[in-house]
Amino acid sequence: MSATPAALLSLHGVSKRYATGTLAVDQVSLSIAAGQVHAIVGENGAGKSTVMKMLYGLEQPSAGEIRLEGQPVRWRTPREAIAAGMGLVPQHVTLVPSFSVADNVVLGQEPRRGPLLDARAAAEQVAETARRFHLPLDPRTPVSRLSLGEQQAVGLLKALHQGARILMLDEPTAVLAPQQAAALMQALRRYADSGLAVILITHRIAEIREVSDRFTVLRGGRVAGGAATRALSDAQIAALVTGHATAPQRTRASPAPSPRAPVLRVRGLSARDPGGGQTLEDLTLEIAGGEILGVAGVEGNGQSLLADVIAGLTRPGRGQVCVDGVPLSGQGDAGIRAARAAGVAALPEDRLHDGVAPDMSIIENVIANRHAAPPLVRRGLPGWFGALDLARAARETAQLLRDFGVVAASPEAPIRSLSGGNMQKVVLAREIALGPRLLIASQPTRGVDIGACQALHERLRALRDGGAAVLLISADLDELLALSDRIAVMSQGRLVGHFAAAQADARQLGLYMTGLRRDPQARAALDAPFTAVTPAVTAVTPSTLDEDLLP
Amino acid sequence: MSAAPPASRTSRRASLMTLIARAGARIGTLPLSLAAALLAGFGLTALVSDEPLRAWLALLTGPLPELHLGAQGWEARRLVLFGAAIEDAITLALLGLAIALPLRARQFTLGADGQMFLGALAAVATSLALAALPAAIVLPASFLAAMAVGGAWGLLPGWMKLRHGASEIVTSLMLNLIAVQLFRLILSEWMSDPGAGFIATPLLPPAASLGVLIPSTHVSAMLLLVPLLAWAAQAMLDRTSAGYALRAVGQAPDFARRMGLPVARTVMLSTALGGMVAGLAGLHVSHALLGRLPVDLPAGLGYEGLVVALLARNEPRAIPMAALLYAYLRAGGQAMERSTDVPREMVLVIQALIILFVVAERLWPRLAEGLARRRSRRGALPAETVEPAPGAVA
Repeated sequence: MSATPAALLSLHGVSKRYATGTLAVDQVSLSIAAGQVHAIVGENGAGKSTVMKMLYGLEQPSAGEIRLEGQPVRWRTPREAIAAGMGLVPQHVTLVPSFSVADNVVLGQEPRRGPLLDARAAAEQVAETARRFHLPLDPRTPVSRLSLGEQQAVGLLKALHQGARILMLDEPTAVLAPQQAAALMQALRRYADSGLAVILITHRIAEIREVSDRFTVLRGGRVAGGAATRALSDAQIAALVTGHATAPQRTRASPAPSPRAPVLRVRGLSARDPGGGQTLEDLTLEIAGGEILGVAGVEGNGQSLLADVIAGLTRPGRGQVCVDGVPLSGQGDAGIRAARAAGVAALPEDRLHDGVAPDMSIIENVIANRHAAPPLVRRGLPGWFGALDLARAARETAQLLRDFGVVAASPEAPIRSLSGGNMQKVVLAREIALGPRLLIASQPTRGVDIGACQALHERLRALRDGGAAVLLISADLDELLALSDRIAVMSQGRLVGHFAAAQADARQLGLYMTGLRRDPQARAALDAPFTAVTPAVTAVTPSTLDEDLLP
Repeated sequence: MSAAPPASRTSRRASLMTLIARAGARIGTLPLSLAAALLAGFGLTALVSDEPLRAWLALLTGPLPELHLGAQGWEARRLVLFGAAIEDAITLALLGLAIALPLRARQFTLGADGQMFLGALAAVATSLALAALPAAIVLPASFLAAMAVGGAWGLLPGWMKLRHGASEIVTSLMLNLIAVQLFRLILSEWMSDPGAGFIATPLLPPAASLGVLIPSTHVSAMLLLVPLLAWAAQAMLDRTSAGYALRAVGQAPDFARRMGLPVARTVMLSTALGGMVAGLAGLHVSHALLGRLPVDLPAGLGYEGLVVALLARNEPRAIPMAALLYAYLRAGGQAMERSTDVPREMVLVIQALIILFVVAERLWPRLAEGLARRRSRRGALPAETVEPAPGAVA
């Protein structure tokens, strides 16, 4: 990849193999020029963050070369990278809350007067930097009083104050409101125009379009494509980003029965994530028995919150969740138990943290949802202190492991000793053992090898064909298209599209996922209309080509 | 010395260390840790004592009784210190259990002291009130009172955490202060015996006696109760729904919550159970050791329970042995202090060192792992020498 303007920073066949053998980055080459905004796009695990870590001295390439102004460099620590002019604004900026903006910015390289810190000089210098870069921040404000967006601005100010010539921002708009995001994009554009180089990691096509000069798509640790932004149409960018050349196969045992009563009914649901920034706004969806509803969306657009609300973990602010016509209620532990009692089972997104107790045995993980009831608790003993029938638990677990083809040393082994795929099989086995009415499957095959992935898909289909409702939340469009009957698309906490899976394709979904299109009326109710599918995307025409690239 | 180049010498030393670490990982690490601790302790003793060997032997064998062949066959002498070690071990085992049970549910409570004080007070009050009744009523009633009051005091931090999000570390510590003052207030205002000559409750009635298993000591039937309790606690953890919930909540709280386990109920159960056992420790102190409760009962023993729980890694079945080990060490320390020139402070340091070694037992596997990794990295080095020196190319 040769850059016409002199490359300020370039990667030449850079690979990173971790000690575990994982090849996180594979022969990545790209170059970034001063005065350019370069967007790096890719899904989780595509290698974006590893590239960034290498550019910030947190990791060292195992092969290949990073060059700064043509000179090979090898940064062993962030300090060296910063000294060379690299600046990083991480997604979650870490600051000292009780310190002022200025204190945070100069932290580690405070101006001194004799042996003492010179607070006044620090405030003046930081104010000067803020003025120069048009960041409306008062250096004296304690950081604890700032919003998330302002804290991010402090992170940016810090990088600039350290003299960054190359700014890296990791999904900076994830924590910002649309107006703040727009302001940030303008600022980045201005910095680039004044001669800095900006590396922007993002998911959103609108952002790529709005500020970037070039973009590079990473997939599976490799460069999957890249171009000058203005040379391509939105739809072409979307196609490159989602990267779907192959049409996934679809299988359906039988057409869905026509008059259907919903197992899950979610009406006008609004909620707010107590910890993170996710919200749900006025969401309506229904799933019938014997049906899989897929939920597509760029991560962090409310899907996990939706799963948590239905599972009873988070209380909705407004609206209602009904299972088989019975509204779920209750708070805290009681809410979860109410949902479980109503027949809701779940494959949590964060398997290792929420789906299993890693240090407990496979048996103990399998019995988690029936440890307090017969037949596992022997009758004739007082309830909660009833003796567990451990022999029975071991027998049943061994049977499950055989049925699901789980490769395990022994049912007594701690479950963390299993591979991702085998662990997920155990979790699924546990969740469907009680015959759930509704299964919430969040990222069911993430980090799972292909064989286990197919087995898990088979199980999900079998569960559906057995009459259960399945809510499938996945970042993998192939998976959604292969399994779902209907697909709902979420963006910023709202439903923005509702499709029959048979009529949807990845490119189409990508347009809605990335916020380029939205159907304001979208509801995923059983009788709701599908979002109108627009005709194919316009082809490249000379008028859309960047004139700089023409000879 | 040898002509071997330094590189091979370090590598030989490293491989020896690896060997030891591996051996440690295989044969069980406790004996190795103990040996290492004893060796280090001896080293320290040698630094401060003119007769290190005698001092060291005093620490190690001081608490043992002496056997003599007398006119009536074998007889044991010097039982007092030995008895003290066993008595201490019983108290410590109960306190260790009191700390370990909540810890299994990841509740870091430090309230055993207060629970013990109030449990003892409740048991003594019950025994005094029922003094006229037969032992078959007095003793069970006193046990129940100790467990009920200790358990209630233990429940408080659990409840405050769930209801108000108060840290159980802070609340249980604060509750200790309150409990000790409450103990002193109740004892001196309403329960003191005017004829005692100092502020203390009246002597316990004969019906409240726990009996003596080893003559000329205070070792009572509680000695039999401790292993029984440890076994029961282990069985509860391993084989009941409640125990399962308790372990799951401790090991993976978010998982337990998502699985619909009764997290709140489990947390409160764990702290209440701990309180009950601490109450029994109080009963042991009042009924078996002292026969009455003085107002100046020394506080702070509850924290020693933490050491025992650590030594036993919160496994109830290991707690009696851990308590015995620790109590023996404490008694040995007393013997060392009394009969040699080693100052008290040094005795404490040596004791602490031994605890440190045993608790750091889990360092062994990590040491082995670390050494193995270092060696494999050194082995792999030639394969990845693509590293250009910074700034080598102009």
